[in-house]
Amino acid sequence: MAKEFPVEIGVVYEGERIRKDNMRVELGGTKVPYKAELVQSRAMDEIEDGKITVKGRDLKDMEEGGRYPFVILVEVAGKEVEKDLEAVIERRIHDFSNYVEGFMHVNQRYDIWCRVSKKSFQKGFDSFTYLGQALIKLFKAELPIIEKIQITFMTEEEDVKPFAENAREIYEARDARARALSDDDVDEFYGCVLCQSFAPTHACAITPDRISLCGAINWFDGRAAARVDPKGPNFKIEKGELIDPEKFEYTGINKMIKEKSLGENERFWLHTMFGYPHTSCGCFEAIAFFIPEVDGIGICHRNYHGETVIGVPFSTLATQTGGGKQLDGFLGIAIEYMRSPKFFKTDGGWNRIVWMPKFIKEQVQDAIPEELYDKIATEEITTDINELKQFLEEKEHPVTERWVEEAVLAAEELEVIPMSEAFAGTRLILKNARIHADKVIIRRR
Amino acid sequence: MHAFAVSGKGGTGKTVLSALIIRELTKKGVVLAIDADADSNLPDVLGAEVEGTVGDIREELLQKKCKLPPEYTKDVWLEGKTYEILSENNGFDLLVMGRPEGPECYCMVNNLLRRIIDMLSQNYDYTVIDSEAGLEHISRRTTIGVQDMVVVADGSQQSFDTASRIKNLADELGARFDHIYLVLNKTKTPDIKRAEMTGLTFLGLIPYDPDIEKACYNGVPLPEHSKAAASVHELLEKILQR
Repeated sequence: MAKEFPVEIGVVYEGERIRKDNMRVELGGTKVPYKAELVQSRAMDEIEDGKITVKGRDLKDMEEGGRYPFVILVEVAGKEVEKDLEAVIERRIHDFSNYVEGFMHVNQRYDIWCRVSKKSFQKGFDSFTYLGQALIKLFKAELPIIEKIQITFMTEEEDVKPFAENAREIYEARDARARALSDDDVDEFYGCVLCQSFAPTHACAITPDRISLCGAINWFDGRAAARVDPKGPNFKIEKGELIDPEKFEYTGINKMIKEKSLGENERFWLHTMFGYPHTSCGCFEAIAFFIPEVDGIGICHRNYHGETVIGVPFSTLATQTGGGKQLDGFLGIAIEYMRSPKFFKTDGGWNRIVWMPKFIKEQVQDAIPEELYDKIATEEITTDINELKQFLEEKEHPVTERWVEEAVLAAEELEVIPMSEAFAGTRLILKNARIHADKVIIRRR
Repeated sequence: MHAFAVSGKGGTGKTVLSALIIRELTKKGVVLAIDADADSNLPDVLGAEVEGTVGDIREELLQKKCKLPPEYTKDVWLEGKTYEILSENNGFDLLVMGRPEGPECYCMVNNLLRRIIDMLSQNYDYTVIDSEAGLEHISRRTTIGVQDMVVVADGSQQSFDTASRIKNLADELGARFDHIYLVLNKTKTPDIKRAEMTGLTFLGLIPYDPDIEKACYNGVPLPEHSKAAASVHELLEKILQR
């Protein structure tokens, strides 16, 4: 740097709010239609390392109290810099620019909102070149994979508008990739213990295919929170080994849950409600419940006030499900989880869902396989288990295929010899009986 | 940053007292005013324009949580919105908490809000929280260390009972206040003995002031100078000297 840097740089300035009274200029923000920030990875020879370009009016030529369109374009190159890292690097613009004394940066992407303080301006922070220098220095220090970096600022609408419009397409393409991210694509999951005040043995395992039960924290939120405060309620889980590819059991998740539940629970199978299912806090958006009579799964959401097909309302189900217990056949879930490609995959996924309130059925219609949509009952079709059974049979719901495997003993007259000593010598005769049993043991006397 | 909270039974005048304290403190430094009463009147009393409340953005986030782009994380979104709804005025900024919570899960959003509001408050010389008697916002949406809690009573037994309850609640919340004061407001026959029996430190009186009453009656901001403002000035000096 030719001149001495006019202001300080440090973590202490993070969270510095520049009030309107102290503001020299505002860049972007809600009152300016076009603004954007973008990180693009380039080939090594496409970048002139350290180059800073200011296209349009620089800080010193701006009117005091004025508002201007704004673009921050960061171009990076390096052997390990991949396209997929652009979003991660872009996120750091927020952190690093906030380290600059007298510079405020809020939001991201097409929403950025910055302010420069009068005080820093008076100290000589009168060019975006200084901001560029600070960013380059911080990016290289904190992210050593960046070997070359150049930064461009734009402040005129004629440049900012087309740039922001083009950037939107890039963000959308990135979102499409992010939505397609699966558990298999990442090495780290995230955990959440925000609800331990209600459910001390509960911890959420948050993966790309499994959003938190409350529906509020996806894998990206977990990653962001864990980076801001690694010792906080959201933390990184090393994924570890996939022990069972059908039950989705990972060593890393088992280790986490054993530790966070203080030994109460030791294993999680990620995408099933049987065996060692995930636990439920109390904050889940919906509850999935097993209906043994039809060998299917029902779902009920928090705002459904009627009775479910098993005769109890959400509130009763919630008491049974919550509290961090591992419960076969009852599981709190987020509504968004129904859109996951791994939604109850172990149990048969959507092929196993037989009943849900009309409201959520319509809400997640996009996720329900088309051929199944009319085969799933709602409260408008029935809240009676026998009627549900009939309905599923009529519609040939895939669960009915499971029914044939069930042992059905039918007889006009059946003699049963009770096994217990107390009944010795008595005979039980059942007439026109149909007995359903998981297992029938017939022993020679 | 020095933080004050004002609380008390409904109708005793805590919003007016908060506003007078805020006005007084702007003479000494920059103030963050937080209206934590679900029935938000502080903006009107201060004459501040407000474009939204924390309650609004909290609900908006819960409504659209799965519609935000996956990499547009909720902490950044919420911080931006909080900054946007912050009403910027001469000498003070005002944040309105707004409506109470619904049946959804607020663990995540409150956790994020605590960090945002705590960090925001570090930018000011003073923070003044106009708080409802339940102290819910103080316990759930901020961990700002409040040094001075000022409880308002109007001379009625109920207002003294509420004051005692606030003290008990504050003790249960882990004694995060250095001092809990009682102020008697707009009473014609101040009964200081009863005020002292609440167990709170009695700070002083604010006389009935027809100018304040008139402003409230007309729904306009408080007058620049008033008898009440003069006594708040004195009470504040007492607090700040301790």
